[in-house]
Amino acid sequence: MTRRELLGLFAGAALGPAAPPPAAPVALARVAGYDSGLEDAFARLFDQLGGLGRLVKGKTVTIKLNLTGSPALRFEGRPLGATHYVHPRVVGAVVRAIGQAGARRIRLVESCWATGGPMEEFLLDSGWPVRALANAAPGVEFENTNNRGRWRRYARLKVAPRAWIYPAYDLNAAYEETDVFVSLAKLKNHETCGVTLSLKNCFGITPASVYGDDAGRDEPNENPTKGRADVFHFGKRPPSRSAPQELDPASRRDPGYRVPRITAELVAARPVHLAVIDGIQTVTGGEGPWIRGLKFVEPGLLIAGLNPVCTDAVAMAVMGYDPQADRGVSPFRTCDNTLKLAEALGVGATDLRRIEVRGLAIEQARFPFPT
Amino acid sequence: MLLALIVAAASAWVPARWSSTDPRSLELLANHPVNCLLLERVSRDFVAAAGEQRFAVLRVVRAGEDPGAVLKEAAEAGVAGLVLEGAFAEDVAARLRTAARQANWTLVELPPRARLRLNTDAPIVGTCEGLWPGIRALEGDAARAAPTGGPWVETNTGFLRYVRACTDAVVWIANQPPAGASLPVHRYLHAIADAAIAGARWVVSLDADLNRRLHARDPKALAAWTRIGAHLKFYEEHPEWWRWKPAGRLALIQDESSGALLSGGILDMIAVKHAPVRPVPRVRLSVEALQGARLAVNVDPSSLTDADKEALRVFTRSGGTLLSGPPDWKFPAPQEGRITLDEKDVERLNDIWREVNSLLGRRNLGARLFNVSGMVSNLLAGSDGTQILLHLANFTDYPAENITVHVAASCSAARLLAPEEVPRALAPYPIEEGVAVEIERIATSAALLLDCKP
Repeated sequence: MTRRELLGLFAGAALGPAAPPPAAPVALARVAGYDSGLEDAFARLFDQLGGLGRLVKGKTVTIKLNLTGSPALRFEGRPLGATHYVHPRVVGAVVRAIGQAGARRIRLVESCWATGGPMEEFLLDSGWPVRALANAAPGVEFENTNNRGRWRRYARLKVAPRAWIYPAYDLNAAYEETDVFVSLAKLKNHETCGVTLSLKNCFGITPASVYGDDAGRDEPNENPTKGRADVFHFGKRPPSRSAPQELDPASRRDPGYRVPRITAELVAARPVHLAVIDGIQTVTGGEGPWIRGLKFVEPGLLIAGLNPVCTDAVAMAVMGYDPQADRGVSPFRTCDNTLKLAEALGVGATDLRRIEVRGLAIEQARFPFPT
Repeated sequence: MLLALIVAAASAWVPARWSSTDPRSLELLANHPVNCLLLERVSRDFVAAAGEQRFAVLRVVRAGEDPGAVLKEAAEAGVAGLVLEGAFAEDVAARLRTAARQANWTLVELPPRARLRLNTDAPIVGTCEGLWPGIRALEGDAARAAPTGGPWVETNTGFLRYVRACTDAVVWIANQPPAGASLPVHRYLHAIADAAIAGARWVVSLDADLNRRLHARDPKALAAWTRIGAHLKFYEEHPEWWRWKPAGRLALIQDESSGALLSGGILDMIAVKHAPVRPVPRVRLSVEALQGARLAVNVDPSSLTDADKEALRVFTRSGGTLLSGPPDWKFPAPQEGRITLDEKDVERLNDIWREVNSLLGRRNLGARLFNVSGMVSNLLAGSDGTQILLHLANFTDYPAENITVHVAASCSAARLLAPEEVPRALAPYPIEEGVAVEIERIATSAALLLDCKP
């Protein structure tokens, strides 16, 4: 983002004196694998963040999972959770921890790739132990947010303080009907956005019924079968007319401009209370097997924080990147920096000097990703 | 004559192409299920040695060979039969059929699919044309640019299931490895399963490199041959399965003129979606043939007779849902050398596929399978309805893990049978539509056997 754009963003916004974006602690832990030690590791991480009880007790907690692309696409035949999906055992451990901390309801959500069918079936197609997850804590629910789902209407969440692409987004109401929102993401690169972390994970809260390539022209298509590239990445077509339209249809159609901004807007519209990043096993070089040059790696890390920008900033530092890098600098060679855009919207701070890192130090956790 | 009596009946032949006439090569068949050898040249010594070990030897005849010379060679060697492989002039084929009948030889005809003879009383029908089963490799950036659906499986199962529905004869498919290929053993296991789960036998055919190494007794080649034998044996040890009928509640009415002899058509598309489907050849369409079906897809409505239409009327009046293909829509007639759809046909197929896909939705038409990308399946039912069998073949290069099956039946017990593995008891648990079964791992192929209430 240029200085001119940054100034333009805040021009006219009734912000009063510029307040620094919030900063919150981030905790790091080393975990050898998915077979054991997850519960202990999360207990430590959440304790280091001040405990989950004050955040979730008696609340409805919605956890956005990172399940990128079709479950039919594997990398080197490995389980999805070992490469580009968040691992189901990580999900199970987080659900148990939140359940033990007294959550009233835990809703696992994702806008499942190219389907409006039940999330449970998408998870079964991913080889996930759905029954075990459902029993990991009281009140576990699953919701595919790729369409309106069980709700009578879409929730319209406004972007504040000001937006670049869309002023508001129509989402499955699960994102509104919740007390606590968790982004449970994977530590990996992203072809369009440089990194996929807790912020970029939130790009997937948008329903393809409204924003998909086969979304209805006037009304949402409740049986979506495609992704969102035409609407979001390239701006080739508008979302369903029922939803808020683009602020400036003449703006740049470059995915490296649009997707980071849309992501930042979504996080501003739907604040994240807890960010968790699975970096135990993952891939480098892209977000999924459809990207050339992917490589399986085992950083052996879990990262958690109470602010998604801060959490991603620490995660980027662990990956060997500068979280404040500008466009043109790896990993943002062809895109704008989502973290800085979110920071500009007041979501959180990217300055590592303002972020307290607990548990493992960044230097101890460092696992360089490709530059 | 004596030889014909001591070797296994033709219906029990487990065929393999064989390159050697050295009687010592028969050592390779010790404790191996292959019992029928297809040779390009035969000798009396070899056939006699094979006969002593109860192996049948068949002389492969190709178009262009001198029929008189072939018959003389075969008679002198004392073979059990002839295999006519490829496209023959009708007068040559007739001469060979007559000679085989007079010599009391079994005649196996393996023509191109376009010349397939389904209306014969031959014990074995088959073809020399087939796809080499496996995952179609993605090429180019376009195929990799987006997080789209799963890999496409190259399979002969749709074609074979149609042929099985047309005939009570044993079905052989004699597809050979891609020319010049040196294949890992699991690609042969795929070929075995691709045929066997559809109730057919693949004529075992090794690539030149493996064949050479096998006959040279190379330890790795011998190990591969043992694995091939174990997979053949797995299916041969359950002859009852060959008689079981498709259990899907979706009927696909098709015939040769509406794409049934092609691979990659509507039957394969449905199979890749793992919707249990029963092919109903149009000539066998009847009220009985549609018994138990809930949905029927009629690919070519223009070909229906009045009796066919009446059978479909009865089906819809009793609550069945019928989807008919577009009235002006026809597949091209099968052509020699072409067994898959061309681009134009695929576009046409997409028209009906969209409708079929929408009709199928999330319905359970016998079984719904999850996490089975890169696999092929076939749902069968025993004659008394107390057992259901789900064949599963994994065509990926890796073991398939964490598969879930939702069966639309009330089943009390489940066992997973797999080649080279001990049977595993699985615990079905109730779900809304029947029972669910979780399968931890399938290396190459398996059969899920369920005990159910009829």
